[in-house]
Amino acid sequence: MRYSRTKGYIIEIVLLFTILLSFQTMDVQAQRFPKPEFESGHVQPDTQIALPRSDILEYFDVFVLIVALSVVSWLVLKKRSRRGVFWVSIFSILYFGFYREGCVCSVGSLQNIALALFNPGYKIPLTVIAFFVIPLIFSLFFGRVFCAGVCPLGAIQDIFAWKPMQMKSWLQKLLGLIPYIYFGLAILYAATSTDFIICRYDPFIGIYRLDADFLMFLLGGIFLLTSIFIARPYCRFFCPYGVLLNLFSRVSKNHMTITPSKCIQCKLCENSCPFGAIEEPNMVKIKEPRKNTVRRFLVFTAIIPALIIVGVYVGSQFHQNLAMVHPKVRLAQNIMDLKNNPEIQEDSEYIEPLEIEAFRSAGKSDQQLFTEAKEIIGDFHTGGMILGGFLGLVFGLTLASLSVFKYRTDYEPNKGECFSCARCMDYCPIEEKVGSSE
Amino acid sequence: MEKNKIIIGLAIVAIIAVVGFMAADFFIGFDKPQKNVYEFKLDDFTDVDSSLINYTEVLNFNIDIEKMKAVDVDKDDNIYVAGKDKILIYDKNAKFIRQIYTEVEALSLKVSDNNDIYLGARDHVEIWNFEGEKEASWEVLNPRVVITSIALTDSSVFVADAGNKIIYHYNLNGKLKNEIGRKDSIKGIQGFVIPSPYFDIAIGRDNELWVVNSGRHQFEAYDMYGNLKSSWKKTSMNLDGFSGCCNPSNMAILPNGSFVTTEKGIVRIKIHKPSGEFESVVATPKQFDKGTRGLDVAVDSENRIILLDPMRAMIRIFEKDNK
Repeated sequence: MRYSRTKGYIIEIVLLFTILLSFQTMDVQAQRFPKPEFESGHVQPDTQIALPRSDILEYFDVFVLIVALSVVSWLVLKKRSRRGVFWVSIFSILYFGFYREGCVCSVGSLQNIALALFNPGYKIPLTVIAFFVIPLIFSLFFGRVFCAGVCPLGAIQDIFAWKPMQMKSWLQKLLGLIPYIYFGLAILYAATSTDFIICRYDPFIGIYRLDADFLMFLLGGIFLLTSIFIARPYCRFFCPYGVLLNLFSRVSKNHMTITPSKCIQCKLCENSCPFGAIEEPNMVKIKEPRKNTVRRFLVFTAIIPALIIVGVYVGSQFHQNLAMVHPKVRLAQNIMDLKNNPEIQEDSEYIEPLEIEAFRSAGKSDQQLFTEAKEIIGDFHTGGMILGGFLGLVFGLTLASLSVFKYRTDYEPNKGECFSCARCMDYCPIEEKVGSSE
Repeated sequence: MEKNKIIIGLAIVAIIAVVGFMAADFFIGFDKPQKNVYEFKLDDFTDVDSSLINYTEVLNFNIDIEKMKAVDVDKDDNIYVAGKDKILIYDKNAKFIRQIYTEVEALSLKVSDNNDIYLGARDHVEIWNFEGEKEASWEVLNPRVVITSIALTDSSVFVADAGNKIIYHYNLNGKLKNEIGRKDSIKGIQGFVIPSPYFDIAIGRDNELWVVNSGRHQFEAYDMYGNLKSSWKKTSMNLDGFSGCCNPSNMAILPNGSFVTTEKGIVRIKIHKPSGEFESVVATPKQFDKGTRGLDVAVDSENRIILLDPMRAMIRIFEKDNK
């Protein structure tokens, strides 16, 4: 019986995948330029050009996103079904991953939003805004249901979490700072029209597109291999979009709970979360002396602004290093170096970089380039200070969260860090008791 | 338990390594100059098997002339070099004889058996005598004309026009008799493909006109009426053929009918048999400076190869080895 059900699932997946792939072959041949006439009689083959995805299909993607999020929310909050979430994950891997080739994804859309906010010349498509906003709205109401089974990046790691191991809380907190740094850098580089670093270092895009250079495949392989023992390493320690989902989920009204009713403190769920997102009950109810509370408040009142100021200072000091990634600044620097050290070009090993060659042939003056680069460096000065201040705030708040004592009577998911994957629900016996009593 | 710690430790190291890789690639990796991955590397073709080189450079001398474009020798093996405003004449041992001020920028030069110097300026032909007096001239009446080569017989002057990709056949008085090489499918003439201003012609041992159809890497022989008599072609990066947009750039014909060819891109001088088959190498790419082009060539009565090297502002003379 179990065998036939599994077989049924496999057939359904294969059918679904076949249907999805059939959409992908609807590329139309288009001839953009007249073909050259070869005197030798050579006939130039027709060029195959994939047309951009039609608007209707883009809106269909948004529709699929909403449906998937709704289904996961229903499965987690109403059905409390881990199996259901798992199958939605498979669907997301196939649809948003292999069929849609991981683009546009909500994680990367963060950069489009930042670019649109700071660059009026960039017209952001509505569907990209939808991909950015909709998961956040769901997160605000139902927790991180997007991470649970809709995000193709999370889903592919989730199915690799075969032998997840628990990490020390402090280590998790420490590594958990990386997404904030990544988030800040991604915004900075997108806002300054420098680069979309989230996309550049998306470790799974190569797998989904079955096309990437070796290093990116290696990166994806390392993440998937790590996922076996440390569940969802990208989601927990890298994902910049997760920073926003984390914040929105913290205030979610209808976040999932481990138990559907009153917790009986059976501790069965204690180690069920592969992400270390279950917070244990803390039964100590001795009231802290007011003096301690006031002192701590004063310390944090001083430390957090101090960290922000330090961050702003550090950010301002490193703004030139940050700006050097911008192609125009880099080009200006290279040309400046050549001007200051003309003997470099006399070296027989010297090869003029392509960028300089292209710049020279464009006919712009060096002075024009230097002026533009200076403006960009100015933007990075402001951006670097904001980034530094933001990171100072994050470090300060993380420090504060470690020392703030929270009273808890039950095992509860950490709303910010919980991916709503529903694994812990399977360990809770309460549901079964309710079911049997009915 | 201990095993778990090791696994977690390794996983953490992997995560840190990934962070390190991303940071290094993003912040440090940019410093690497982006080399042109599509660069057409010719290095492999600069090495030539020494057994294929049959010539040695026996003499060279500097010449003082701007925009040097053409070289030829007369029946006494005197060497003529033409460029901007003047013609320089040397004897076969590089001894300076005289210079002739022409006040035109010559692109081509041919010396007749009676030592008349036919000079191809951009749009007209001038005839000078050995003493430096202008004897005649005529214009080529065609827009966009660029005269790149002249060939002579006893009764005809052939003028190659790279601009219009055609050859004009004049009598010795400058009267146009006919045009040669216009595309004609009935006569089997494909037309000349000349993407750059290198379009060379020469008279063969049977008085036929040989034309370098450089865009096709092809040699074509015509009679004086414009009928295609023979042709051979070989497209190859290797020594046996010609490559690039348009090669060979120049040529001369040895008394035995073999062709001396010069190429740009992969700069080299070779001998091809009258049938077109590769015979030997005169000079390898390593014997030229980077960027060398426009190597005009002539052959004297002793079968020496006289080469004009504009990059070095030099006449270079090669003699066949006695192997």
